[in-house]
Amino acid sequence: MSEPTVSLQHLSKRFGDVQAVSDVSFEVYPGEIFGLLGPNGAGKTTTIRMMLDIFRPDRGEVRVFGGTLDEQAKERIGYMPEERGLYKDQKLEPTLIYLATLKGMAEATARERLYEWLHRLDLYEHRHKKVQDLSRGMQQKAQIIATLIHEPDLIVVDEPFSGLDPVNTRLVKDIMEEQRQAGKTIIMSTHQMYQVEALCNRIVLINRGRVVLYGEVEEIKRRFSAHALVIEGQGDFSNLPGVLDMRRQNGAYHVALAPHVDAQTVLRALAAREDVFIERFELAEPSLEDIFVMVVQREGDDA
Amino acid sequence: MHKFWLVARAEYLRLVRRRAFLLATFGMPLLIMLIIGVSILLSVRSERGNLPLGVVDEAGVLVADLAPERYAGEDGPEIRIFESREAADAALNAADIQAYYVLNKGYLQSGQVELYYWDEPPKADARSAFDRFMRANLLADQPEAVQRRLLQGVDLVLRTADGRRQASENDFASFVLPFVIGMFFVFVVMGTAGYLLQAVTTEKENRMVEVMFTSVGSYKLIAGKALGLMAVALTQVGMWILAVAVGVMIAARYITFLQTLQAPWGFLGLVLLFFLPTYALIAGIMITVGSMVTELQQAQQIAGMVNLLFVVPFFFTVFLFTNPDNAVMVALTLFPTTAFITVAMRWGVTVIPIWQLVLSWVLLAGSAVTSVWVAARVFRVGMLRYGQSISLRGLYALLSGQRTG
Repeated sequence: MSEPTVSLQHLSKRFGDVQAVSDVSFEVYPGEIFGLLGPNGAGKTTTIRMMLDIFRPDRGEVRVFGGTLDEQAKERIGYMPEERGLYKDQKLEPTLIYLATLKGMAEATARERLYEWLHRLDLYEHRHKKVQDLSRGMQQKAQIIATLIHEPDLIVVDEPFSGLDPVNTRLVKDIMEEQRQAGKTIIMSTHQMYQVEALCNRIVLINRGRVVLYGEVEEIKRRFSAHALVIEGQGDFSNLPGVLDMRRQNGAYHVALAPHVDAQTVLRALAAREDVFIERFELAEPSLEDIFVMVVQREGDDA
Repeated sequence: MHKFWLVARAEYLRLVRRRAFLLATFGMPLLIMLIIGVSILLSVRSERGNLPLGVVDEAGVLVADLAPERYAGEDGPEIRIFESREAADAALNAADIQAYYVLNKGYLQSGQVELYYWDEPPKADARSAFDRFMRANLLADQPEAVQRRLLQGVDLVLRTADGRRQASENDFASFVLPFVIGMFFVFVVMGTAGYLLQAVTTEKENRMVEVMFTSVGSYKLIAGKALGLMAVALTQVGMWILAVAVGVMIAARYITFLQTLQAPWGFLGLVLLFFLPTYALIAGIMITVGSMVTELQQAQQIAGMVNLLFVVPFFFTVFLFTNPDNAVMVALTLFPTTAFITVAMRWGVTVIPIWQLVLSWVLLAGSAVTSVWVAARVFRVGMLRYGQSISLRGLYALLSGQRTG
């Protein structure tokens, strides 16, 4: 594997009495879309902010493009934070050009490239409008342009699909995939697990400031396959032993089991009950959402 | 282009295109032009209506061939001597004169003078012309130099022992101009400091901070914004001063008193010298306030109180006319937030000792550097605390290095 674009080693950060991030390490490589996952308040944003030199870590080391993050390296980064916006009382075109020039682009080049992006994202006709007069989805697309216009080598996007309709979600997904194929490094933080499954090669799951899962998506799913079931039948399937999460989808129950419970235990419990009639009982590959719930709840129980 | 300049240029362009800025910048010169226009009109009208005054000398004290330049002021009316009350009355009825005075026979003993007029008594300038006329007549047998001195009074000139600077009590222009220019600067500084506050909180409210921090360092961002706003302030004050200068030049053709005015270059240099650190001090305070609170409205309330710290000298204006060198004025000269206005106010009426100017500037510059240092630290952390204010305790912790965020 090539040199990592981002390498975080044993990062820790405390705010007053709260340990926001504790001993977090992971690496992200060129040409991959990397999922940075975790429940609200897990420490994702703090980790990103330390990675981008917005916060300084109390301990640990951040290396981006093989070194520390200086002004030139920052110009190779496109960042779309979760808390985002644009100058609302300014017109779209000058705002985006200003942001591009702050990333080291010449104004003429920035304008040329901006027009290409505006055409692609259907915003060209709106370029003279003030940002506040654009719809939420349009503003979201404008922010995607601000993130990508200077052709960054490292793209960090936090909840990139929020506020987008299905058509534009597909468009942004295509753009992400395109960037990945161009060899860019993409770090994506989102709660939309199906998007992570569709896009990400590898993930890190952070909970309570610590890394609780890290690796390739497929490998992680295999690791958790013994703890996911699909059950179909008649009757009340609640009150099964060791069930962390159960949701009904297309007439079948998708069940996530606690780590210490296996499928045999559940099968025996169901067989002993007379109020249910089982039509289908099989081990399932868990979705990332199941794994997420499973791991976070386990962590909660252990605490 | 350096990012610092990019930020400064963007901030400058963003503000000068605002309606409020355009109104203030071009509205004020229009107002100045209007005031000057009205002054010219009044001056011209008063010249037209400035009919001669009559004097009937029953006391026999007037000198028949007294040259008018002995008593004539700048704008005073001509004075005609009449042989009798009847002759003066006829002239008044024919509107050849606006009024006439009668010096009674016992004038030298009683000092009593009668004044006759139709609708309105003569205005102040006509009365002072009559006073000068009477003094000149009564002193006619004195040597010319004595007459002039008694008529013009004392011109008290304050001069430092080293001859560095002097101020004259009779030099109205040198008193008024520094005051007016000082006021202009105050309005501009306060106005643009408000913009600065808005600029900082707007970045916070618009959630632009994180993107900016990954493009520009926080010090460059703050310094660029401050420079852009300082340029805005200078543009505004430049426009105003230009308007005043052009207005005065036009008005001087009609109003004689304005012809004596001279540009106070020394004062302008001093104002610029004090302006820069004062602006930095205000900028530092405003950025700190803007970073600590969550909304512009909240910040503006605090900024209003901060502004008071800068305009306190106006409450002590009375000392300017009584004793501009008393302890209070000296203290206000040395205190960083009040230094700028106090120096501007005192400049025209007294000679400020050089040690006060130097110490005042050093204290001001020191405070400015400190305020910018505090601002940069608070800005970085405060701007990322969306929806949360920083308490004074939190501020102390931040500055004492307990939080490194």
